[in-house]
Amino acid sequence: MNDANTLKSCWSCKGPMPAEELFCPTCGAVQGPLPVNHFRRLGIAVSFDLDVPALDRLYFDLQRRLHPDRFATRAPKEKALSQQQATALNDAYETLKDPLKRADYMVHILGVEVLPEGCTLVKDQKILIEAMEMREKLAAADTMEQLNVIQRETKAEIQDVLSALSLAFQGHDIPGACELTTRLKYLDKMMGEVRHARARMLA
Amino acid sequence: MAYSKELIDHYENPRNVGAMDDASGDVGTGLVGAPACGDVMKLQIKVSPEGIIEDAKFKTFGCGSAIASSSLVTEWVKGKTLDEAGAIKNTDIAEELALPPVKIHCSVLAEDAIKAAIQDYKSKSGAKDDNQDAAE
Repeated sequence: MNDANTLKSCWSCKGPMPAEELFCPTCGAVQGPLPVNHFRRLGIAVSFDLDVPALDRLYFDLQRRLHPDRFATRAPKEKALSQQQATALNDAYETLKDPLKRADYMVHILGVEVLPEGCTLVKDQKILIEAMEMREKLAAADTMEQLNVIQRETKAEIQDVLSALSLAFQGHDIPGACELTTRLKYLDKMMGEVRHARARMLA
Repeated sequence: MAYSKELIDHYENPRNVGAMDDASGDVGTGLVGAPACGDVMKLQIKVSPEGIIEDAKFKTFGCGSAIASSSLVTEWVKGKTLDEAGAIKNTDIAEELALPPVKIHCSVLAEDAIKAAIQDYKSKSGAKDDNQDAAE
């Protein structure tokens, strides 16, 4: 990862410039995206507890400066680089604004050493038993009231898991965060299925 | 995406849906999941004293390919020995159902489920055998 005061040479004017600047201070040419993590791309510290409105502002500000439309009359290379920048920025924003994607991403980048096997397998049978039980309960629900209760319970459980995730990341407990992220994936799926069930009942 | 006749048949008319008593000594249960797609699959086998799978049941919450894969496996394992059932490969399942490449992981899940069920049965009956040995 580049240090904030590392210098590089601008691809256009060849002059020296800070590696993390988006535009060359000398000639103004847009630079290509750096291989940095999503948090750094948006200029924030790695944390699960994001201020989402602040994230939105950072994103829209960067997007305005990097949007390919602004480079329509520039050289092909600048157009291509702004396109790459915009794509990398969108990836970062889409991942960070969603708590589930953010948790999954954080487990991935922070787990390189502690979880070399990744976080795609379910090690704890309790998670699967819980997933099976909630889906069975949903399958058995046949009134809107029952669906409403299930939806409320699922929402509450998602809130609990999000709070626990926040603590796990604060305590650098990556295996714990991995388990919670897995639970959140099943709860997220469950919410989707509850919505489908409600739509079917209203149809 | 075009799905095969076999896949659609297993999805629309899944075989052997249900559950058996997990507490029973002759039943092995495999519970597996693919969190990325929110799938969860339970596959159970009932094994005769001779080591033949007499019955199999499954319950899967997931996509059509996951349901079809587990349904097919319950059909295949009935009448087989544990070793024969344990030799079923995900590629056999994927081939029979003509799963598209993006759904291959569903057949992997079904293979994991039957292996886990066999393992569960063996650990239960193994514990029982040990007790019998100790009594002798």
